[in-house]
Amino acid sequence: MGTVAGLVAAIVLLSLAPGFAGQAPAARPGAAGVYVPPRTPDGQPDMQGMWLPGGEGLPMERASIVAPAPAAGGDGAPAPAGGGRGGGGRGGAGPRPTMIVDPPDGKVPFQPWALARRAEIIDNQDKFEFVDPRVRCLPAGVPRVNLPIVFNTYQILQTPGHVVFLYEWSHLYRDIPLDGRPHVDPKIRLWMGDPRGHWEGNTLVVDSTNFTDKTHLLGNGAPPVGVPAGALTGGQGVFHSEALHVVERFTMANANTIAYEATLEDPKVFTRPFKIAWNAFQRAPKDHQLYEYACFEGDHDTVRRMTGVDIDPSLNVGGR
Amino acid sequence: MRNGVSAAIIVIAASWLVIPIAAQAPATAASAYRGARTPDGKPNLNGIWQTFSTAHWNLEAHTADDGVPAGQSVVEGNDIPYQPAALAQRRANFEKRTTADPLTKCHLPGVPRVTYIPFPFQIVQTPKYVSMLYEYSNVTRIIYTDGSPHPPPLDLWMGDSRGRWEGDTLVVDVTQLNELTWLDMAGNFHSDALHVTERYTPVDADHIRYEATLEDPKVFTRPWKLNLLLYRRLEQNLQILDYVCVDFIQRKYVTSK
Repeated sequence: MGTVAGLVAAIVLLSLAPGFAGQAPAARPGAAGVYVPPRTPDGQPDMQGMWLPGGEGLPMERASIVAPAPAAGGDGAPAPAGGGRGGGGRGGAGPRPTMIVDPPDGKVPFQPWALARRAEIIDNQDKFEFVDPRVRCLPAGVPRVNLPIVFNTYQILQTPGHVVFLYEWSHLYRDIPLDGRPHVDPKIRLWMGDPRGHWEGNTLVVDSTNFTDKTHLLGNGAPPVGVPAGALTGGQGVFHSEALHVVERFTMANANTIAYEATLEDPKVFTRPFKIAWNAFQRAPKDHQLYEYACFEGDHDTVRRMTGVDIDPSLNVGGR
Repeated sequence: MRNGVSAAIIVIAASWLVIPIAAQAPATAASAYRGARTPDGKPNLNGIWQTFSTAHWNLEAHTADDGVPAGQSVVEGNDIPYQPAALAQRRANFEKRTTADPLTKCHLPGVPRVTYIPFPFQIVQTPKYVSMLYEYSNVTRIIYTDGSPHPPPLDLWMGDSRGRWEGDTLVVDVTQLNELTWLDMAGNFHSDALHVTERYTPVDADHIRYEATLEDPKVFTRPWKLNLLLYRRLEQNLQILDYVCVDFIQRKYVTSK
């Protein structure tokens, strides 16, 4: 009896020990069966760990027109599985779900001039000034960095007052401060935007501004050669202005899934805000690690191959 | 009696809690560090840091030049102990440094160079990982402090970093570095045999003594050490911004066919 009491006391003590602090209590179902994640030592819902892309094969958008027979080619990047080439409506299967959940038609709500601009971008992927920034090894921007792209995986770290996302893709990262500080001066433009986070219950809400106008919002591969912009379902060429404002919501749906939502607003390019949502992060196996993704280094051919323009070879910019 | 047994067990249990801390006692006692600690008892290195030195331009002592501040050597013993052929290579590198320095091509800077390029970086410290987020070219390092070994040999610009705490010093073993990075803008270099051991020793809440030992039997006659100080950036609301040199370099050098 005394031994039992002592063991209970020891267990209680051990559970208070610093070494055990990281091992948060097992999650318990919330009132309505909603998943309640364990907590970090400073009380944040704990999303830490290694994550893999979710939602592969989900079309990003619904095509406006039915694509002609796809041409072979592209840059060898894998086409988005399932819906990359024409997508919805073909084969009588009925409309498929898309990442764009609002507006309900699943289409990017471009202003008319912007729709024409997108077509120009898609039609000129062989020119340096139009080529997908991904091809030039430029930062992905937001929300594109969270899209299911074959070479991306994620690591989330949390410290008091911060959530940090590490991306394998081009060694990108986002440090999201939670202390309510204001956004940086509008004169500062940042490729990955200026994120500010806070927790609403178990949901991490991230408000980002101060973007450049140089990234594309969606797209998980090169546009298929010869397919008109109106037939795309892979989100390619969805550009934006510096007025872009993104609000993201990260919610653990269960111990192994983070549901993701992003509302994108840019009154200079879109007729209305639009929203994308899917289960963007799936827990990686225990021994998963991020590896170095040196994109520009050693890749001196890409710009030339994709655009027909050359980097002065005497400068040996590309590499090895 | 029952209470006595319970109390004894509690004392034993409590003493178990003390052991991990006691085991660190000798090193901790020798440490001058009195700054904040993380819940697991390590010096709290979270925050934004930067070196202020001339190591970026030249690790060794040098006279001022156009755009280059004069500086004293950060190398222990002043000069890097090159083998004769390597010394000739360093001189050749110096002559063509304005185009041959890998940093002028926006390549990843390698280790230890990333530490002393003149941009801030942020340390994100958790019990299993110490991550470093560098403003320059959004370089990241993830230092595993979970006891995991180096993976099978890879060819990496930033190497593979595995760390451990020796008292209050974070010791990082960096291997698998390729031969394509330089050590500064003056042509100091290494081969793919480079092995770097970094030691991050906080001396107070706002300063970390940084030591890197470089071992490369193909280039140096013996292991040698560089010493720097990392300063905590204390400006209000300071944050890491970005310096995406890939864009700058491509715009600079792309010429229409």
